[in-house]
Amino acid sequence: MLALQLLCNGIVTGCALGVVAISFSFVYTTTKIFHVAHAGVYTLGGYIAWWLVKRGVPFVGAVALAVVVCVAMGALIQSQLYAQLERRRETHLVVLIASLGTLAVMQNVIAAVFTPNILRFDLPWASQVVHLGGNVRLTWAQMLTVVVSLAAFAGLLWFAHRTLLGKRIRAVASNPFLAEITRLEPRTAHLYVMMVASAVVCLPGVMVPLDFGLQPYNGVTPLLTATIAMIAGGVGSITGAFVMAVVIAELQNLSLLFIPGEWSIGITFFIFVIFMLFRPTGLFAAGR
Amino acid sequence: MLRLDGIEAGYGAKTVISGVSFALEPGQILAFLGHNGAGKTTTLKAAMGLLPLRAGQVSFDDQRIDRLSVADRVALGLRLLPEGRGIFPDLSVAENIEVVAARNAGANAMFSPDDVFKLFPVLEERRATRAGSMSGGQQQMLALSLAILGTPRCLMLDEPSIGLAPNLVERMFEQVRQVCKSHAMTAVLVEQNVAAALKIADRVAIMNNGQIVFDGSPDEARASNVWHYF
Ligand SMILES: Nc1ncnc2c1ncn2[C@@H]1O[C@H](COP(=O)(O)OP(=O)(O)OP(=O)(O)O)[C@@H](O)[C@H]1O
Ligand SMILES: [Mg+2]
Repeated sequence: MLALQLLCNGIVTGCALGVVAISFSFVYTTTKIFHVAHAGVYTLGGYIAWWLVKRGVPFVGAVALAVVVCVAMGALIQSQLYAQLERRRETHLVVLIASLGTLAVMQNVIAAVFTPNILRFDLPWASQVVHLGGNVRLTWAQMLTVVVSLAAFAGLLWFAHRTLLGKRIRAVASNPFLAEITRLEPRTAHLYVMMVASAVVCLPGVMVPLDFGLQPYNGVTPLLTATIAMIAGGVGSITGAFVMAVVIAELQNLSLLFIPGEWSIGITFFIFVIFMLFRPTGLFAAGR
Repeated sequence: MLRLDGIEAGYGAKTVISGVSFALEPGQILAFLGHNGAGKTTTLKAAMGLLPLRAGQVSFDDQRIDRLSVADRVALGLRLLPEGRGIFPDLSVAENIEVVAARNAGANAMFSPDDVFKLFPVLEERRATRAGSMSGGQQQMLALSLAILGTPRCLMLDEPSIGLAPNLVERMFEQVRQVCKSHAMTAVLVEQNVAAALKIADRVAIMNNGQIVFDGSPDEARASNVWHYF
């Protein structure tokens, strides 16, 4: 049952991508920053966890510390880079280029400190295979990825809609001008958004390399797919971004039944073009 | 209460308003009128700190506030209902009120969420509705609610009657007047609906091409030949 196995692989990849997509979307919706350096934070999280595991820190502790480092990194990027550029009223293009530059620096530093070569987690349990029904086999790492990703998805939804800070952040996204004159302090809200998104993206940043290993430039493709999922799902919709990420990953995986694997990025862009042509506001666009 | 002294402001190389002065007593309502593009919105933005002053002073309770941040001016009770975009459209009505109340309405606030729900019962019925999907009039009521939540002392309303049915305008303005009189609150009312504004105003200022060309009582305004400025 190759199809069933591919379907399950698609769910695993899709869930991890979905978490990248919702965190990227959360930043973009609120700050309007195309935060490409998010890919760097994603990669950083994996390396920090790898380093801690190698030093004998238990996996859960390593993930928690990696999250803390990613939050600090996100706060640093927001306060030292984006906030400064915003104060100087730089254009979106300048901010995008600054973000790309930050990503490049992060990748290079990671490559220099660790190695540009592939690193693997030394965690035997992660690659142990679980046999599900119908000949489907998944590793514990893959099962964990699904569980953690769904929890992160639910957690971010809960945060955005049920907590006061989440509502304040959505208010800032919805009308920044009014937020300014009602003392919601948009700049502080942006800082919180970046911290939350960095914490969230750290999770797939650690889970995915459990299976595939770490490389400094590994964050770029997930981010690219995530941005497409965000746009196809409808900018502003957390659910839309997550669902579209799963759909894209499924289509990529199931397409393997018919066409060679090298085409999977092509599939992603094909989906993107279809959406731009037929539903440019995305699947879950909030009605205006 | 609120006092502007010869303020000048603009956008980029263009100076839009200059030499604008007026002073308001507590409880006074100023109808601030003028043709489209006269500079009314620009004046309110400058008073609020949203646009830098190029000359002049802004005072509040005899204290200079022109160096304060927007948030600090809001904290003093200087509040603005902005032209055309006074709500958070993607949040529900209840969420709109909750987020603004959380940052502005402490325990001793003049207007708590309960108070604004009493003032505008229709908002209570629409609590769970996405604010942006309400009718224009309901959105304006929400916008006014957000502007008064907490303890406003000087309320600047930029065309609050847009999208409201005529009888609703009268009711809303009457509510504004009662609130101002009972709480010694000052209001600056920018309006296209001149007749309705003059009904509740204690004073009228008319702006023409960035300058105040008339400042007096509603009766004086009605009697004089200022209307060719529109
Ligand atoms: N953001 C801006 N950038 C550049 N020029 C602006 C900007 N906003 C307003 N202006 C210009 O400043 C002048 C005054 O505009 P302002 O919005 O203050 O007028 P107004 O009296 O509020 O008019 P209305 O009754 O149409 O709201 C206009 O000539 C307008 O073109
Ligand atoms: Mg105006």
